[in-house]
Order: sequence, then structure tokens, then C-alpha cells
Amino acid sequence: MVRHKVLLLAFRVVLGGLFIYAGVVKVLAPLDFAQNIRNYQIVGPSLSFIAALVLPWLEILAGAFLIVGIWKRGAALVISSLLVFFIVLTVVTMIRGLDIDCGCFGAVDRKAGWSVILEDLAMLYLGLSVLSDRSRELD
Amino acid sequence: MNETGRALRQALALGAISVLVAAAVHAPLIKRFARGEFRETFFEAAAHPGIRMITLEEGEDLWRTGGAVFIDARKEAEFREGHVPGALSAPAARAEKAMPQALQALARDRALVIYCEGGDCQSSLLLAKRLSQDGFKDIRVYTGGWAGWTAAGLPMEKAEAGMNREKGDGQA
Repeated sequence: MVRHKVLLLAFRVVLGGLFIYAGVVKVLAPLDFAQNIRNYQIVGPSLSFIAALVLPWLEILAGAFLIVGIWKRGAALVISSLLVFFIVLTVVTMIRGLDIDCGCFGAVDRKAGWSVILEDLAMLYLGLSVLSDRSRELD
Repeated sequence: MNETGRALRQALALGAISVLVAAAVHAPLIKRFARGEFRETFFEAAAHPGIRMITLEEGEDLWRTGGAVFIDARKEAEFREGHVPGALSAPAARAEKAMPQALQALARDRALVIYCEGGDCQSSLLLAKRLSQDGFKDIRVYTGGWAGWTAAGLPMEKAEAGMNREKGDGQA
């Protein structure tokens, strides 16, 4: 795993920034995101609605904490777990043959497919690098 | 192990804070949902096999190839200020009561692309359900809406709808 301090800081800023952006566009259009979640046909309308309100804030807070460096590893754990969940969800969606928007970055829409999985894997690499960083400063 | 436990506690705390922030920020929305306001606007794919959501890419492709009739579900005033070139105006609220003639005349197997403002707008979905009941079999909802279309710098057209002019202004 990566040990270089500056590189790890860059990872945190890039990954945190992406999560803050993804969260903000969803906070601005919660009903649209609720519909996106519902389209995955995993949870019903009520849970889709609740998830659509909470998930964006989790993305924003984890992204912000990751950049600032407070609870750095906790934030990296949240982000990495979310990414693993997104990857599994996308694979399952593809296997089920559902032709739906991924809902990843709000209006910048794409189908749930390979590009989403590759992007999530790249972000997961950044997340796990921060998570496995053993230095204790700012933590 | 200590490190892992700490990271886990921090992660759980972040989750709890997120729930609190979401509850505080979206309190009005939660109250409305509890009253049952949005439940009927949720779109259930299984109940409407003729309707599907499309991305900007697909919408643009259908527009360039002329593969679908574009329908603007926003208010007529918004339509006049700018719309997807060639689109018909069919404000969703008004279409609920009476289907605009331009739509009545279309063959039921024509592909339709319906859009509204973008973001949280629900009128494109409402109109899609209405048209589905009316017998249209290939309805696509471009959820990015007008906001997504203009943000992508795609062409727009102003003024009147060529085929569908009606008096008054419906509510989207």
C-alpha cells in the first residue's frame, strides 16, 4: 500500500471531493435520488425515501472528514464500505438485467454498468490506501 | 485491533451524525412524506412496462436521429422561454384532464421522450403514466430534464410549439 505522505493527502482530497460532490447533488434533489434508489428494486418506496435523505449526508460528512483529517480512518472506512456496497449492487443489477441509471452523481447520469464498477474500484483503491495508513497524526 | 475498533466507532458515529443532519435538514420533506404525499409519485417499473428512464446520452441520440417525439411536461410559459427543438408542449397538470390534440394524433407505438425541469421535477413521470394509460407503448423519461439538456450545451428553441398551442397555463 501507499506510504508517501503527499500522495496519501492527494488521495484524501480527490476521494473526499468526489464524495462531497456526489452528496451535494443528491441533497439538492432528494426525490429524484429516491426514485433512483427505488429503480434498483431492492427496497420499497419508504426505505428508498429514507436512504435518499441519509446517504447523501453520509457521503458529504465522510468526504469532508476525510479531507480535513478528523476521524480520517473512520471516514475512509465509511467511504470504502459504501464503495464495496455500490460495486456489489451494480454487479447484481447487471446480472438481473435492470436497465437503470446508476444515480451516482445526480444529473450527470449513466447506466449502472461496467464504467461505474471500474470507477468505484479506482476510488476503493484510494479509500483502502488511506484506511491502511498506519501513521497516527491527525487521527 | 484497537485501530480497527476505533475506525469502526468513528464510522458508526459518522452514520449517526448523518441521520441527525438529514432529519434536521429535510424535516419538512419528511413530514410531507409521512402524510403520504410522495408515495403515488414513486414510479414502479413493474407496473408500467412501457415506461423507462433514459440518460442524456440516449436522449440526445434519439433527438439527433429523430427516433422519438419529444414532449415537454413543464408549464407552457417555461416552454415558450426555451425547449428542446421540435418538442411538443404538454403541461402535465393540464394533460391530466385532457390530452393535448397533438398527442392524441400520434400513433400509439411512436417512441416518446418526456422531460420536465430536471432535478426533483415529477411532472414528466406523471405525464408518462398518463400517456401509458392512454395506450402509448414506448415512453422514455429523460430524468435530467431541461436543466441537464441546457447544462450539456445542447440546442434549444424558443417561442411557440409548432403543433400544440393552447390557451392558459397549466401547473407542472
